[in-house]
Amino acid sequence: MTHRLSESTQSGRSASRDGITSLDAAGFEARVMQGHGPIAVEFMSYSCAHCGAMEPVLQEVAETLRSREPIFRVNVAIELDLAATYEIEGTPTLIMFSEGREVGRSEGPDPDAATVLEAVTAPFGLQ
Amino acid sequence: MMDSATNAGAPARQATPILLFDDECAVCRRMAHWVRGVARNALGEQTIDVRPIGEDPEVLRKLDPRLDIWQVYAKSHLLMPDGSLLIAGEAVAEVLRRSPGMAWCAWLFSVQIFKLRPFQSLLDLGYVILSDVRPIFGCKSCGAPALWARPFVWLVKTTKRLTGPKSHAAHRPNFTPLAATGDVKPRPPAPPAP
Repeated sequence: MTHRLSESTQSGRSASRDGITSLDAAGFEARVMQGHGPIAVEFMSYSCAHCGAMEPVLQEVAETLRSREPIFRVNVAIELDLAATYEIEGTPTLIMFSEGREVGRSEGPDPDAATVLEAVTAPFGLQ
Repeated sequence: MMDSATNAGAPARQATPILLFDDECAVCRRMAHWVRGVARNALGEQTIDVRPIGEDPEVLRKLDPRLDIWQVYAKSHLLMPDGSLLIAGEAVAEVLRRSPGMAWCAWLFSVQIFKLRPFQSLLDLGYVILSDVRPIFGCKSCGAPALWARPFVWLVKTTKRLTGPKSHAAHRPNFTPLAATGDVKPRPPAPPAP
């Protein structure tokens, strides 16, 4: 049986359905450091399979939270300085920010919606 | 048998197929190196363009809008000059067909018996098995091994831990240490105190 094209195009993770905005250093400064209210940032890398497993879960959580808490992603393979600044030891690492300050962190959470939702909302008491 | 679907409106194609491989996975790097060695014509020119996937989803989409970076990291993708896309075992079979040194065995994968391709099915199975056991061979970015492979991975890791150098790093099952992917960068020195 031939693997059809749909295998890579019907993953449900296409850019058009991406509820998580990717940030570079300038975007991080503008959206996270200068941002207000609860914010979650996933430090990730596309080559990390754990991040691949986390991706659909995080999309689901982003959809659940919508405007209450925006979720961003930072690619540590590209944004090396941000990774060093926040002492990222591995991926995925979720860091929660409030008024530009780190208020919580979760390293390698189980890739299920309840765990991730708890991780990104607990520091703000949103649940 | 090749996938005959083409991608209308895609960017201009190059003459050789493009094989995308995971540059962070030691097993995949070795495979890519091997393909570069065997996929050469009589003039010594590459018959397959072997490229690392990289970290930019946009670069991949420019190559072909159907390429989803997560999917490309999950399975081998071979982008053909006619715009078709071969994935996993199909990609491997086509790589062998286009490698003069391996053409002697590549014909097997096209053999059909009662509309089935038994050798291609075996190749597909072999691909899945190798993909699942990559952590045994040192791929720390490949994620959690499949359920069936976990006892083997555990056995290999335990043996290495008992016989190799001691490590005090805590094991976290859903976490890829940056040192494993080469993405680590030393922290800049702290500024001197005033």
